[in-house]
Amino acid sequence: MKRVRSNDAANPVLIFWIIAGLVGFCLLPWYGIEDFFQFEWLTDGYPFDDDYAPGAFLIAQGQKLWLAPFLVPLLMPLLVLRRAKTDPIYSKILILAGALGFGWLIIQGFSIGIRGWNFSWMEAAFGELDDRQFGMGYGALICASSFLFIFTQGIAARGAINGDVFVVSSIGGVVVIVTAFVFFPIAKMLTAAFITQDGGYSLAVFASKFFDDRLWGLGCLSGGRCGVAWNSLFLAVMVGFLTTVLGLFFALIVTRSGFRYKKVLRALTVLPVITPPFVIGLALILLFGLSGTVTVFFADLFGVQPTRWLYGLPGVLIAQTLAFTPIAFLVLIGVVEGVSPSMEEAAQTLRASKWQVFKTVSLPLMRPGLANAFLLGFIESMADFGNPLVLGGNFDVLSTEIFFAIVGAQYDQGKAAVLAMVLLSFTLGAFYAQRFWLGKKSYTTVSGKGDSGVHPHMPSALSVPVLMIALGWAAFTIVVYLMIFYGSVVELWGVNNTLTLKHYGTAFSVRFDDEGIRWTGAAWNSFWTTLQIAGIAAPLTAIVGLITAYLLTRQTFAGKNAFEFGTMLSFAIPGTVIGVSYILAFNVPPIEITGTGIILVVSFIFRNMPVGVRAGIASMSQLDKSLDESSLTLGANSWQTFRRVILPLLRPAILAALVYSFVRAMTAISAVIFLVSAEYDMATSYIIGRVENNDYGLAIAYSTTLIFVMLSVVLAMQLIVGRINIGRRAANGSGEKT
Amino acid sequence: MSINAKAAPVSFRNVTKIYGKDVVAVDSINLEIEAGKLVTLLGPSGCGKTTTLRMIAGLEIASKGKIYIGDQDVTLLPATDRDVSMVFQSYALFPHMSVIENVSYGLTFSGFEKSETRDRAHQGLELVGLKGYGDRLPSELSGGQQQRVAVARALVLEPQVLLFDEPLSNLDAKLRRQVREDIRDIQQNLGLTVVYVTHDQEEALAVSDEIVVMRNAGIAQVGAPRELYDAPADRFVADFIGEANIIPCEITDVQGETAQITIGTLKHQLPARGMVPGPANLAVRPTRFKLGAADGLAMQVEKATYVGSRMEYTLATSFGEVFVVSEDVDAPLAIGDTVAVGLDSIGPVLLAANENP
Amino acid sequence: MKTNTKIRVTFGATALALMTATNAAYADKLTFYCSAQEDWCQLMANSFQDATGIEVAMTRKSSGETFAQIKAESSNPRGDVWWGGTGDPHLQAAEEGLTAEYISPMREQLHPWAISQAESADNKTIGIYSGALGFGYNSDLLAANGLSTPACWKDLLKPEFKGHVQMANPNSSGTAYTTLATMVQLFGEDDGFDFMAGLHANINQYTKSGSAPIKAAGRGENTIGIVFLHDAVKQAVSGFPVEPVAPCEGTGYEIGSMSIIDGARNMDSAKAFYDWALSTDAQNLALQVNAFQVPSNMNAETSPSAPDMSQIKLIDYDFRTYGSSETRQRLLKKWDDEVSILPQ
Repeated sequence: MKRVRSNDAANPVLIFWIIAGLVGFCLLPWYGIEDFFQFEWLTDGYPFDDDYAPGAFLIAQGQKLWLAPFLVPLLMPLLVLRRAKTDPIYSKILILAGALGFGWLIIQGFSIGIRGWNFSWMEAAFGELDDRQFGMGYGALICASSFLFIFTQGIAARGAINGDVFVVSSIGGVVVIVTAFVFFPIAKMLTAAFITQDGGYSLAVFASKFFDDRLWGLGCLSGGRCGVAWNSLFLAVMVGFLTTVLGLFFALIVTRSGFRYKKVLRALTVLPVITPPFVIGLALILLFGLSGTVTVFFADLFGVQPTRWLYGLPGVLIAQTLAFTPIAFLVLIGVVEGVSPSMEEAAQTLRASKWQVFKTVSLPLMRPGLANAFLLGFIESMADFGNPLVLGGNFDVLSTEIFFAIVGAQYDQGKAAVLAMVLLSFTLGAFYAQRFWLGKKSYTTVSGKGDSGVHPHMPSALSVPVLMIALGWAAFTIVVYLMIFYGSVVELWGVNNTLTLKHYGTAFSVRFDDEGIRWTGAAWNSFWTTLQIAGIAAPLTAIVGLITAYLLTRQTFAGKNAFEFGTMLSFAIPGTVIGVSYILAFNVPPIEITGTGIILVVSFIFRNMPVGVRAGIASMSQLDKSLDESSLTLGANSWQTFRRVILPLLRPAILAALVYSFVRAMTAISAVIFLVSAEYDMATSYIIGRVENNDYGLAIAYSTTLIFVMLSVVLAMQLIVGRINIGRRAANGSGEKT
Repeated sequence: MSINAKAAPVSFRNVTKIYGKDVVAVDSINLEIEAGKLVTLLGPSGCGKTTTLRMIAGLEIASKGKIYIGDQDVTLLPATDRDVSMVFQSYALFPHMSVIENVSYGLTFSGFEKSETRDRAHQGLELVGLKGYGDRLPSELSGGQQQRVAVARALVLEPQVLLFDEPLSNLDAKLRRQVREDIRDIQQNLGLTVVYVTHDQEEALAVSDEIVVMRNAGIAQVGAPRELYDAPADRFVADFIGEANIIPCEITDVQGETAQITIGTLKHQLPARGMVPGPANLAVRPTRFKLGAADGLAMQVEKATYVGSRMEYTLATSFGEVFVVSEDVDAPLAIGDTVAVGLDSIGPVLLAANENP
Repeated sequence: MKTNTKIRVTFGATALALMTATNAAYADKLTFYCSAQEDWCQLMANSFQDATGIEVAMTRKSSGETFAQIKAESSNPRGDVWWGGTGDPHLQAAEEGLTAEYISPMREQLHPWAISQAESADNKTIGIYSGALGFGYNSDLLAANGLSTPACWKDLLKPEFKGHVQMANPNSSGTAYTTLATMVQLFGEDDGFDFMAGLHANINQYTKSGSAPIKAAGRGENTIGIVFLHDAVKQAVSGFPVEPVAPCEGTGYEIGSMSIIDGARNMDSAKAFYDWALSTDAQNLALQVNAFQVPSNMNAETSPSAPDMSQIKLIDYDFRTYGSSETRQRLLKKWDDEVSILPQ
């Protein structure tokens, strides 16, 4: 009953991409157009106008003749349309066509720019070019996709990855976009580390910057100050450890205790994630700063001078732990829930006490989660920029140093590049340490068989201190957030404590008149832009992240480790570096997207994708592989398997990825500072402008509003994702096993 | 019954599977599986039988050689595109779908209308005796029921080849017999081509039309159950299929098809199987000894066990221990007794002498 | 390429105008990079749009960030005009050829310091406002700690102020570099560095951002912050207990600047903005926002709250020398090697 497609009919996927390529080349404008979706270009000289013409029309008019060679790879696949997949010619032709098309796209894109030849040696070799080209548009984009996927179909037909077109195409797609939007800009930025003052390249420049005592000094061991690198490393390890422990505590309370207010606790852990930068820092200053409420109270109580103890390592550590514990929690909750109850029950029946069960079975099975949570905390701390800026005092870290190397009085991009490399190597180290720790053990706990056990409660020796610490932390979080809310309804934070709603009025006033609602508040513009960008970026991030996680856990292919690292890379690099590198890379053809909303969306996708990847990996490594295999043998292809079997079982991971990427897009600042434009201003950048201008009330009122907006969006997402898939009901089902 | 078979033969031509750089899981095997037959891949852990099965399914792609299903070369075809279904050891039921959703799963990818999908799924469930269980979740079923859902899920696709990967290993002994009979019945009623992996020789003997015994990534012997049991090709097969006592002997003379052998003082005649005079091994099933034979070898009883339908003895001889089963439960031998043991006229088989087990 | 884009834009805009009959104001555009405070930037953008009908797209970033952006975009400039922010990055941009030369007809209305700023950069930038360096203190904290009121630079060296003074790191902040350069010009290079070294002992934190010390003082997190006086005045006007001090020895100052970006896509609009921004009307807009700098147009009004420049002893700040990257790097390296490593 199953038709075996390769024999009798032409492959529909191949036909689709051939047609797509031709549409891209013959119908859609080849070059980028401002405001494409307003479709003014359709009535404005299309298809003959140079700016709006599709590639085919350009060539026909004798223009941009370097586009002509694309016809060959576009038409070549037609030769094998009727051939069987297993025919060696089929794969050869497709690979050749894809490689030629994609290769030529890259070569011409980088060779010919807005000023003719991009390289002087080309001008010398081919003579002056009396033409130029702008950034690629939708026509070129679709052609590029067509070439790529024709290429991957060829590779698949050769038998790579069991001949699986979806998997090969996914790998190809992820590799290409990660290369384009992570490796390419970062490489462009990092080469600055080797550039001398007069524009040449030199290793010595790199060495002198790299071996700077300010970077590696060990003065703190003898009472002085340590290098920035050591500061960052120490801080990141501490934060990674603390957030993992606290995240685990929260996860344990939610899954394995009889605590009555789990839901409240769970909601509370979400708060710090949805808080715009600087706000936690400001609240901490009002509590613990030199004139902070708590500091003054204790100073009066004990009759001592208040100190600036908060500024430096303690403040940054507290703020980062507060901010990143929820991330650890989101990663761990899936894993802690995922540990098969029957394993724990089995251990109990083997005479292990509750404590021993926890120590010898539950905890080791949570290892992938713990490792991932630590890694995320570590990397977040390394790349965090807002908290060290506000609370760092004289405790310098790499991320702020990078920022000020670029925007400070020294304008030293080379130094920023060197510091970024150091930061990157730490992240790389943490990444490999994690892999080493996890080793080759299997942590699969969800098999194809129904599992009907119940998670045992924590041993009381554990639950009491866990609950105490978690509740203490929760109380602290509540106080911090009350302070923030309070700050938004007083006249002048810390000085004039008259209650007022004027800050909300300034930011979010609306007026009703004949034309309907008029958004008169100062913040509306950036608010809508932010919602829009975050709303577009979140699902894309989740999709790319989960597909990548699927490839990493479920498929084996050459270069998998490098692939995995590549997908983690953008997360490990501070946003500042990403921001500048994006401007360097995407301000000129072939990819010309600065000043658009696209560059913001793209930067969010690749900044936040690693969280989706990590969450997906942690959850997927607990799903037995026979589930996918049985789906495959039942005739589902790997895309259908991914969608119908794996995705529904990954609800916690999907939610984590969606929520996280949405929220991060709303609250990110460091990369955004460079990428916002007049048309696309983001909330955080607006808020920081306000803080700089002493409008603390407005800034905090805006932040508070964002917190509430994000909270409701997060809850809505939880509802939607929860409703589509009723979840792993098996874990709650009551059945018998043999 | 509208579930029909489109049974097709499977053919392996010089198929090799190498994992990584140098782990050879399957080494250049040739195998023909006839349409409509139940063929078992039998062998110890790590012999390559599961890899062979997964290559039929398309879950592994052969490193070398060709695989055909029917007359189509499927060597490079992925699992999705092969008309093959598989029942997994762990059943691999999707925990987030109800029983009926599980059974319909494959049908939704085969271009059936919704109503037909539903009808077929219900027929499939009925076929395995689970009518009315459609709305349950897999976790609400017993192990045997889960197993049968997995079978129904594979069956409704009417695959050219149906694969079973140790399907009974998670079931209790009584259920095992019943399920394996059910599988055999369905296979014969529908005329399915079934490839079945197990490491349990009794299971293999019970269900198979043909058994493929595998060892160290290769095929040791292929044959009908009776053939393998009665005429094992070598010591490994003899030992793996049923139990066999391997006794060193001497071929003294070969006349045509018949060989004359001696074991100590015992003389015996049996088919020569192309062997020439000289040292050899004799494989003897525990039931093929004659206790109290007149010209038998003297052996001493070391252990005697009563297992209801028969007696099991371990006897000490000059060449080691032999394991003997006797139907006589009324006058059992006692430990320490000496007994003269002879050989049945049919049953014992000659094997080459210096072969490594 | 610039012309092409412009043609594209104009062409498209004309077509749109014909189609939808919107007003002609759409015909011209200006991409405006602003490095002053947010509300001032908004006001400038809106007022210019009202005055000329040119559509303004404004992006506000600090001067360092804007400089980094202009530099990154230099091969395909996006911005047209850059207004506001301390003069050093503007001078740096001029030195690196990122900004374009332009001589405005409005020049004769400007203070001499604004023109000298332009001349020191081959007319690639011009002064739009100035502000004197000084410091501010939190009067509450000063009283609580029983400290005397500082009036001069040298007062800050007193041991009683140990742990009470904050300034920005000259490596990251233009304000702090101006402080360093001022001390070198005020006391001579050797004595200037001695002063910085003495000050170092009393510093509780070198902040990253130039105005952070006085903001910390406003919130009660710090006692004395070395900043531009208009920043201190702003804290006081915002309601924080901050007192600005113009040091008795005299002090340096910054010149907030404006530049046209080299290769601007809308060069005519940029020039129109440039001329407009130097006019009395445009400069008087500062009065509507809390901006306490001194405007460069001689006829423009200065806020009554602003520090009275006539009462402040200003040194003759040599922008050409101390704004050059050569001198800057030398002084910063010297500060790094000789001051920042001292024990505190």
